[in-house]
Amino acid sequence: MHFTPQTLRQLRRFRHLRRGWWSFLALTALTVLALVGELVVNNRALVVRYQGQWHFPTYGAQLTGNAFGLGYDYEPDYRELQRQFRTAGSGDFVLLPPVPYSPNEIDVPAGAKPTRPPGWESRHYLGTDTIGRDILARLFYGFRVALVVSLSFLTGTYLLGIALGCAMGWFGGWFDLAMQRIIEAWSNLPFLLIVMIISAALRPTQPVLITVFIAFSWMAMTYYMRTGVYREKAREYVAAAEVLGASPARIIFRHILPNLLSTLITFVPFTIAGAIELLTALDFLGFGIPPPTPSWGELLRQGTQNLNAPWIVTSAFGALVLVLLLVSFVGEAIREAFDPKKFTYYQ
Amino acid sequence: MTAPLLEVRDLMMHFPVRGGVFRRAVDTCKAVDGVSLTIAPGETLGLVGESGCGKSTLGRCIVRLLAPTTGKILFEGADLAPLSRRALKPLRRQLQMVFQDPVESLNVRHTVGQTLEEPLIIHGLGDAAARRARVRELLAQVGLPAGAEDRYPFEFSGGQRQRIGIARAIALHPKLVICDEPVSALDVSIQSQVLNLMLDLQRQLGLSFLFIAHNLAVVKHVSDRVAIMYLGRIVELAGADDIYARPRHPYTRALLAAIPVPDPRRRRPPAPLAGDVPSPIHPPPGCPFHPRCPHATEKCRTDVPFLRNVAVAGSSTSHTIACHYDL
Repeated sequence: MHFTPQTLRQLRRFRHLRRGWWSFLALTALTVLALVGELVVNNRALVVRYQGQWHFPTYGAQLTGNAFGLGYDYEPDYRELQRQFRTAGSGDFVLLPPVPYSPNEIDVPAGAKPTRPPGWESRHYLGTDTIGRDILARLFYGFRVALVVSLSFLTGTYLLGIALGCAMGWFGGWFDLAMQRIIEAWSNLPFLLIVMIISAALRPTQPVLITVFIAFSWMAMTYYMRTGVYREKAREYVAAAEVLGASPARIIFRHILPNLLSTLITFVPFTIAGAIELLTALDFLGFGIPPPTPSWGELLRQGTQNLNAPWIVTSAFGALVLVLLLVSFVGEAIREAFDPKKFTYYQ
Repeated sequence: MTAPLLEVRDLMMHFPVRGGVFRRAVDTCKAVDGVSLTIAPGETLGLVGESGCGKSTLGRCIVRLLAPTTGKILFEGADLAPLSRRALKPLRRQLQMVFQDPVESLNVRHTVGQTLEEPLIIHGLGDAAARRARVRELLAQVGLPAGAEDRYPFEFSGGQRQRIGIARAIALHPKLVICDEPVSALDVSIQSQVLNLMLDLQRQLGLSFLFIAHNLAVVKHVSDRVAIMYLGRIVELAGADDIYARPRHPYTRALLAAIPVPDPRRRRPPAPLAGDVPSPIHPPPGCPFHPRCPHATEKCRTDVPFLRNVAVAGSSTSHTIACHYDL
């Protein structure tokens, strides 16, 4: 990767903005954790040693109870297996992930209520939800879903917004005028209502939902790109490229877009935060990704409906606030570091 | 006389002035209003005029950054005026431009090497190694250190940046370079260095220049012939020595009288020009210069003067002015 000195200075400045930089590191850590989530939150064991043989059930084919001498051919309950091996004391052992539950696994011991408060002993560190699923596991995998959705959302809105915005700025004239009116009309469609209709009409899978999100959110970026291209194309270095015979594509991609990078980067965190909020809100209302996919919005709804189990709403709310706060801090620092007023070449 | 490299014939560049709700053209700004000139191979034509007289617009029309309203731009006999972007591309190798402000005309996000390599990439000249060799050759030609290619424009001084701009303009071996006030943005101490570089390059490479400036002293130093522009028209065109020794148009005389002389004892009459340049949207009828001309008569207010030869009998070069009178 080759950075220009301008970008390097902006990155250095970003690192010196403590709050933003630490938030960025924390978010990166969370993202990496979510990527290798199976090692952290999972009901399959990381390592099993049984009669001198090593098994790694986390990644790989599903093992059956027969493999561990349990006499059945469905997946063993590794938590139970761990307890058995411990009492047997024969040198066999099971190493479980720190949170030994899957997000969709219902864990209701005989005689217990499904909704249980946090407990160290039960290893439900944030308790269970109304049907007995581990809240931490659901938060964790819900974060992964939110990440996938928000990154796809970011890519989609950016591609559409940049492409159309650049075209509007570059061609100008009637095309620009017509597109602006179309965008204004499109922006005024009631987004929430349309999502509700779509959710009611067809079961919205994740890709469908992302597409709908993008279809109603790309407009803002076109405004920034359009004005940016208008501004940059009037500058002399673009004229110089034109005199050399550069094609419009070359001028836009090699000259204008790199000079608009600050704008693009500045909006990344805010776009991601917006996507997470949108997804959570829709899930909260029940129009988002259908169950049983783990989702923060669904947890929030459960929590608000069951205030006698306060750990549900506290966990979901806390996670949401934490992540949005981190993203906002990063965004604030990027905005500050990439402020064109600080790094101008106009004297 | 050999065939001209460039011949501009009756070039007009009128910009619409838009107004009203529907952005209709309510008026036109006649930035260039019927200019004809020629440039011979290896020649430098100086183009002088006040701000807003249309000299930069003329330069931008010739390199087809602007599409002229009417008129012909004959480059080696081929008319550039109606050509599309694609049809122009091969011709652009012959016709380059040096811009006024080297800060603005270089992309801050490209290294010097990238900037100089770009024309070669655009025209598909050479492989990566050949291009890099050419970049190094160009840097040497304009007197920049060899390590400059990996550095960014902001690391250079104004004069060095303009050298980069010049290197970019000559990268494709052009025949004609439009120089749009190439030294106006530079310190006076640097100006002569850059001018001498351009003159050296002209001699080595056989370049022709259209040298646009508002500084008559600079133009005198570099030009073979000089054209004086006023309000979108050429008012006087003659050999450089001729025009400085025997200016014939009252506007040229006023411009020359305004050149400061480095002699504290010498007293000159105050500049005879009063008032401002009229708006090119509503130019005065008749001779465009008549509202400010000390010799204006009734005829000047109604009749447009055309360029006519006023050269001394027996002179080999022409001397044309757009004035009704022999003053």
